[in-house]
Amino acid sequence: MNFKVTDVEQFQAQKQFIDTAIVPLLQLDFAEQGMKQSSSAGEYLMSLTNFIEQQFKGRIMLLPPFSYTVNTKSETLPTTIEQELKDAGFKSIIFVTCDHSWTEFKEFLNIIWLPPIPLESMDKSVKQRILEDQLKQVIPNLTNIWV
Amino acid sequence: MSKNRVTRRQFLTYTITGVGGFMAAGMLMPMVRFAIDPILQTKEEGDFVQTSQKAAEITEVPVKVDFSYEQTDGWYKSEVADAAWVYREGDQIVAISPVCKHLGCTVNWASDPTHPDQFFCACHAGRYEKSGVNVKGTPPLGPLDMFEVAENDGFLMLGKKIANTHSN
Ligand code: FES
Repeated sequence: MNFKVTDVEQFQAQKQFIDTAIVPLLQLDFAEQGMKQSSSAGEYLMSLTNFIEQQFKGRIMLLPPFSYTVNTKSETLPTTIEQELKDAGFKSIIFVTCDHSWTEFKEFLNIIWLPPIPLESMDKSVKQRILEDQLKQVIPNLTNIWV
Repeated sequence: MSKNRVTRRQFLTYTITGVGGFMAAGMLMPMVRFAIDPILQTKEEGDFVQTSQKAAEITEVPVKVDFSYEQTDGWYKSEVADAAWVYREGDQIVAISPVCKHLGCTVNWASDPTHPDQFFCACHAGRYEKSGVNVKGTPPLGPLDMFEVAENDGFLMLGKKIANTHSN
């Protein structure tokens, strides 16, 4: 499910089935050297999380990405969101990010960190294959959380 | 002769009605078009999409065929990636939609080791026979949809989604 009205209505009616929230954490970097890389990572993160949503539509809700810059980043962001989502009825909350710094929270949060792959230079079929490969790596994380 | 003569007044009346008519038509036509356009567009969705799957290479074992088409939503054009599970049944090709009829996850062929000849939905353990018919007792309440199929130059083409034609 996506964060849009028709999907949210379904979530509210079927909370026992749609029990997982996916939260992309996206770092924006506006510095001359970092901006391009940051946009590329953002594109990758969005493509991958959308693909995960398509495959597991009936079980997860993909939230819009939580974006922050170096200066607006807050360490308490994920824990706060997790609590609010739990209160809303989600059983598992999974953060997906290309920002390595979140991996230190792995002990008490479900964080999936992925090194960004520059998809922009690839043609459609290669892109599709890469996303499928990446998805295969993410699936064990999901199933571990679900069992 | 003088009886049939068109007076200046009549002439003007005719001309103005005529021109007015054209103007009205000019204004109405786009409106009518907008009104019926959605109908015209569904026709377009019924078009077949070419895939890269060779028809001759399709066997009795379902394989996943990816395809994509362009979708316009307002001003926003996007490329939609879709897929079908395709196999041969007698002399016919069957294309099954992978969208689970429970809540819309993507189903996979033989991904549940305990049911190697069924479609499996990992989200809530939904299962379907090869025909796409849902297995009773699992969450889905209806069979998987199918795609219309055609062949072009030896390649498989997929058309619009239709209700499953296999009966339970
Ligand atoms: S979405 Fe397939 S079983 Fe629930």
